[in-house]
Amino acid sequence: MIIPLDLIALFFLVVIALAAITVRDLLAAIVLLSAYSFIIATVWVEMHAVDVGFTEAAVGAGATTAFLIATLARTRRWEKR
Amino acid sequence: MLEWLIAEVFAKYNYWVSIVLMLIGFYAMIAKDNLMKKIIGLNIFQTAIILFFISLGDVSIGGWGGGVTEPIVKGALPWETGEGGAVYANPLPHVLMLTAIVVGAATTAVALALVIRLHEEYGTIEESEIIEKERERELP
Amino acid sequence: MRVRGKGKEHGQEQKHKRDVIVTTIARLMIPFIQMYALYVMVGTEGAGGGFQGGVVFAASFVLFVTAFGITRGRRRLPESWNAALSSLGLYFYAGIGLLCIILSLFSAQYLNYGALPLWEIIGRPETRGLMITFVVEVGIAITVMAVFTSIFFDLAWKGEEDKEDNKEEGGE
Repeated sequence: MIIPLDLIALFFLVVIALAAITVRDLLAAIVLLSAYSFIIATVWVEMHAVDVGFTEAAVGAGATTAFLIATLARTRRWEKR
Repeated sequence: MLEWLIAEVFAKYNYWVSIVLMLIGFYAMIAKDNLMKKIIGLNIFQTAIILFFISLGDVSIGGWGGGVTEPIVKGALPWETGEGGAVYANPLPHVLMLTAIVVGAATTAVALALVIRLHEEYGTIEESEIIEKERERELP
Repeated sequence: MRVRGKGKEHGQEQKHKRDVIVTTIARLMIPFIQMYALYVMVGTEGAGGGFQGGVVFAASFVLFVTAFGITRGRRRLPESWNAALSSLGLYFYAGIGLLCIILSLFSAQYLNYGALPLWEIIGRPETRGLMITFVVEVGIAITVMAVFTSIFFDLAWKGEEDKEDNKEEGGE
């Protein structure tokens, strides 16, 4: 574990998670969730869990984002308040 | 007191970040009105739990310090290195969480199918409007 | 009703606004993504990687659909193929298990790879499990690819199906 990289990545994780549940544009929220998945994949690779990191980069950041955007194309983009 | 604080609180910051992420996801699942936001909260909740388990498996948090390697055993066994072997991360939580990621993707797909069906039925993906329309449908 | 009308509009708009940069980059990228998926599947010496390779392979189909539209994507990978491929991987896995029983003349258990007489063909006894692992990995990857593309098509499908629905409703 590389402690400075870990601290920076975890800080950005919390910031991006807060932004993803706060922003009103759902497409932006989904893209922020994709960025969240990539950063957490980095965290897992530097925590010596390489297989989990690779699977998260493929499934979490790739397939789940594609599913969410495909759903968003059939529903509406903006969140009402 | 300070030593206890450093050893038990600050040195295990991974667990605190995991708890914070879990609460963020839980808040989104409970308080947000939009169903897509609820699914995003579900994903954040899932990754927070996986972060907790991977932190359990990473032995460098528990005081081993540096020199920890990936759990790839080739060339790291005690009779291969000759000096007691290498300390590697516990691979059991990795395997468990690999399954959890796959199940999480399937759960997200099912939730998205339900969201599409609800949007076809009610024309909206806001939870309060769906409940309102359901009440209107039942009343007359 | 409003939803279907919107979907039809969107489909027409999609057909007219095909961006040349996106299609060219997709044409360039898709073979490399599929080669990378094959590398992840069977490229390294050892077990593991079937699921991830299948997901990367499914991502290439997702890129194809994003660039060229869902009707062309469905023409490339029809639904009947999807159903066949998603069960083919299971047959690979179960067939290897049955092959262990048959080739050892009913003396070994199900999925007992060591009983296969493959080491006479390959030569090195330590690699006899490897070829079998390759077959199992490819089977897992085919199933995962078929299931993930099927989920993506089902979530994103709103082209001809909607037109047929409108025709039926208009007839009524």
